[in-house]
Order: sequence, then structure tokens, then C-alpha cells
Amino acid sequence: MSQTGSGEDVRLAEGIDHQVAMVMDLNKCIGCQTCTIACKTNWTDGGGREYMYWNNVETKPGSGYPRDWEEMGGGWDEEGQERTPGDLPESEDYGRPWEFNHEQVMYEGSDEPLRPMDQADWGPNWDEDEGAGEYPNSYYFYLPRICNHCTHPSCVEACPRSALYKREEDGIVLVDQDRCRGYRYCVEGCPYKKVYYNAMKKTSEKCIFCYPRIEGEGPEGEVMAPSCAEDCPPQLRMVGYLDDEEGPIHKLVNEYEVAVRLHPEYRTEPNVYYIPPFAPPQHSESGESVEAERIPRNYLEELFGPAVNEALNTIERERARVERGEESEVMEMLTTTDTADQYRLEVFDE
Amino acid sequence: MDRRPLLLAAVLALAVVATTVAVPAMVSARPAYEIPVTAADDPDSLDSAEGEAWTEVPAAGVPLSSAGAAVPGGDDTTVENVRVASARTDERLYVRLSWEDGTRDTGADDVREFPDAVAVQLPANESARPPITMGSTDNPVNVWYWNGANASQELLAGGPGTTTTLTDSELRTAATYDGGRWRVVFSRPLAGASENRTTITGTRDVDVAVAVWNGSNMERSGQKATSEWYYLALGPGPQGPPYEAILWTVAGVAIVLTTLVTIEGVRRTRGE
Repeated sequence: MSQTGSGEDVRLAEGIDHQVAMVMDLNKCIGCQTCTIACKTNWTDGGGREYMYWNNVETKPGSGYPRDWEEMGGGWDEEGQERTPGDLPESEDYGRPWEFNHEQVMYEGSDEPLRPMDQADWGPNWDEDEGAGEYPNSYYFYLPRICNHCTHPSCVEACPRSALYKREEDGIVLVDQDRCRGYRYCVEGCPYKKVYYNAMKKTSEKCIFCYPRIEGEGPEGEVMAPSCAEDCPPQLRMVGYLDDEEGPIHKLVNEYEVAVRLHPEYRTEPNVYYIPPFAPPQHSESGESVEAERIPRNYLEELFGPAVNEALNTIERERARVERGEESEVMEMLTTTDTADQYRLEVFDE
Repeated sequence: MDRRPLLLAAVLALAVVATTVAVPAMVSARPAYEIPVTAADDPDSLDSAEGEAWTEVPAAGVPLSSAGAAVPGGDDTTVENVRVASARTDERLYVRLSWEDGTRDTGADDVREFPDAVAVQLPANESARPPITMGSTDNPVNVWYWNGANASQELLAGGPGTTTTLTDSELRTAATYDGGRWRVVFSRPLAGASENRTTITGTRDVDVAVAVWNGSNMERSGQKATSEWYYLALGPGPQGPPYEAILWTVAGVAIVLTTLVTIEGVRRTRGE
């Protein structure tokens, strides 16, 4: 627990100096999967990781990746004390890597279009853009997901060998590859299904929050934000420390409370936060706007808990202020294009 | 005195002595928790899980129950007993385990796929018996581990969740699956003891416990069927607790005395 200047408590995991965190503005996500590919090519293009997406973008409403991960259990009970049992996904729920007819099209002069050969019956974001609702009021939005580097991670508790641990310096959750014996209790235990089993290495692997980048291990020794954040075309991610009082993360999460957690009822206390989607209102048959929200509030509550209501109300108020020509710190933070404001990763460097 | 009663008493005494030797062998082949170790001289045959030499080695039936570890499904185990046989040559100690398993699980290539596995646990320092649950920090255990998906491992553990691979292992394993039954042979050189490796000599017994995992039941880690502590009878004996022989001898002497007193009593009654 650390005390902030504004008198609010920022709850950090015990023994953690600072907690690295991310805020993703879902209003900016265009579903281009650039973050997915940035992560994939950076970290998960090795053997046994073909099916793994440490970062993925799924369409909501939708089954997600792995399929129906929200139904698989894991996390903690209501008191946040006892772990609740979870399931291991089937490999089909992740989607097997597809074979494409590259050889025929590229080298053998086939007139066939380039396409998967077989097994193409499920994959990450298979239900892309389907969403829900009826024309003209159908709706969907994109949900980018990485490991939440939770304050109370159930994967860490699930491992009987303590092979998963939360780093003292920044709260990043890692798998010690030497200690892991591939039991997969962490895969069961994570309610977000963000730990993966590498069948080739017989160990579990997961998002490392690009810690070599935030440690400045790059070629120029520069501190860089995670690849998924830096490579995002609409720049929807802010990265910093939850306990950096001057940073946008602290302000959006703790001060204005417009950034909310995904499935807070799992009680792992994620450190990835979302600005909820603020869709245009519904339309009548003739195309006129009507006084009804396009994305049902109860669906957003299912995803983000009851706090989403106040978050959306605050955003609406702040938008109105800007429309009136007044100043809004919230909207400034959410619309800045200055990376120095978006990424504050060196504030605690000594 | 007539010689017939004396003869009868002698026959009875002989019968008692014969019973003393034969009955324990018939009723219980060996003391509880003993796994006999047979001296053998055919290492090639012992190296094979189906080797001919193993037909000459008596096996102990060892009951198993769930280890009760605090992992999800920790009590959900399926293998209820394992047969354990042991042999030694001048160079190596062999332990063969065999158990029934209706499914042969040798893969770990899918997120929901777990291999069948078996382990033998020995105290790293055989002079004190460690806690059955993977030993403890100050009293560690050696574990010989095999599973159907990859090579065997020699491990050191100082409590649950602490297994660490021992380097320079000279552990050898061989396994077969036939007729719904796994047979797995572990062997280790008698020499090669170190601070963290069990000393095996021919002069003292060594404690041993075993564990079996059924992969198709998704058993792994602490979700396993385990035995109590047994011992490999490497010491010189005696075979069985001495009080057994003492009791039989006392009973024999009592029977002979009772018989003689009865005969004498009958004779006096008849006024002979």
C-alpha cells in the first residue's frame, strides 16, 4: 500500500516497489492486429508458440481467444482468499495454426486464391466484426488483451513450484523457465487465459510486458514502451506506473476513475485498464439518432463491472466540457499524441 | 516308562519346529514393508523391463493412495497398487515397478495431454528417514523419475514443489507397456554416492517409497498415487522380527510339556 499526494490509496502487491500498468482506450482500437503481430514477431515466433498470442485483439461481443475463455473459471472467490478451480482449454479453443497454399500459388502458378488448406474452422478472433444487435443498431468493439500482471495473480498462487513470480521492482509477472515443469496449473488458474503451455519446451510461457524494452536493453540502450503499445497505429495505449502520481495511468485509474478493469469479479486485480467504448447512439429506421445507447450498459457491466457506469458518465461530462470550449484534463490525456505523455517509464529510475 | 509317549512327544516337538519354519513362509512371505533385493549377475537382462532375469526376482505388492497434496484434484488418483521388485549386481541396483493402466499415455504435446509417470523416492542420507512428502529442507530425498513423454530424471527434493534436476545422472531406465500393464526398470550404480545422492551398500537397508501418475486422468505434480515408506532389504538380515521365532519356540515347548504331563496323568490314573 502506498499513499499518494491526493490522499488516495494505490494498492500495490505486497513487496512490490512500483507497479507497471497500462491503460487502453477502446474508443481508438480499429482491430488492425498490428499489436498482435508486433508481439508475435518479437516474442512468440519460436517453436511451440505457433498458437500463442501473448497479445491478441478480439471482437466483443464474441467468444474471444481462447474460445469462451470467460467461461473457463479461475481467479479467486468473492472474498479474494480462495482460488476457484479453472479449466484447461482444448487446443481447438485456441485454434490450430493453419496451413496455407503458398507453394501452389507462389511457385506452381495455381489460379486458386491464397487460402488455408484445412483446419480453418476456428482461430483467434474468428468471429471478427460479428458483434450483436440488429441492423441498424448492431454493435461491436475490439478488445486488445495482454497479461494483466495482476496485483493478486492467481497463476502465481496456482503453481506448486513457485515457478511464476511477481517481480519486486515493477510487478511484472514472469515464469522461471528453469523451475517450470509444465504442470499447467497456471494455465488453469488464470481466468484471463493469458498463460500458455509450450508443448515443445514442456513449460509455460506468457507476456513479459516487454521487460527488456522497459529496462533499456535495446540497441541504443533506450527505454522503450512494450511493442504492442509503440507499434499501435492509433496509439491507444498508455504505459507507466500505477503509483506515479503525475502520470496519466494514476490519474485515469485512481483520480478520475475513467479507466476500469476487465472482469473485476475474478478478483486478481488486473493492472491493465480500459477506457470503455463510448459508441454513437442508436438510429431509427430512417437513420436519425435516438436517445438510446448502442452498446447495452448491462453488457459493458458484464465485462467491466459496475464501475463502468460512472466511468462512462464522467467521460460524457468531460466531452461536454470540451464541446463547450472548456478545459478537460481527462480528454487531454486521452487525446494526446505526445509519446512523452503516453509513456512514463523512467520516473522511478535512480 | 513306556517309550511310546516319549516318541509321541518327540514327533510333536518336531512338528512344532517344522511349523515354526514353514508357516511364516507360507503365511507372509516377508516382513511388512520389505522389498527383497535379489543378488543377480545378468545386467543385460535386468536392464530390460521384460528381461528373463526378472522372472527369478520376487516382487512385493505395494498399495497406493492419493498423496493428498494441496493441488486441484489432488485426491483424484486412479492407480491403487504397484508391484515392486529389486535386484542387484556387483555394480548396480535395479528396481522394477509394474502396474495396471488401461491407457498408454506417452504424450505432452497438447495443452490437455499428460503422460503416465512413475517415481522412486530414497532418502538422500539414508541414516534418517525423511518426511514422506518429498523430504524436507534439512532431510532431502533423491527421486528417480520417469514419464512416458521424455527421458527419465534424477532429482533432489527438500519438500513439496522443490524438485531440482541432479546433473551427471547415471540413472538408467527402460519401460514397456503390454497387456494394459506398465513395467519400468530404474537402475543406478552402487558407487557414486555424494552429499546429495543416496549411499547404497550391501550392508544396510535403504528406505524407499514410490508414486504413480495416470496421464489420462490428468494426474501430475502432487496429484499422484503414493506408497508409505518401504525398505529395500540390502542389509544382512535377520529376515523378519526375532520375536516370531521366540513365540513359536515357547509354544512348541509348552505343547511338549503339556503332552508329557497329560500322558503322565493318564498313566497315574490307570495306576500303571
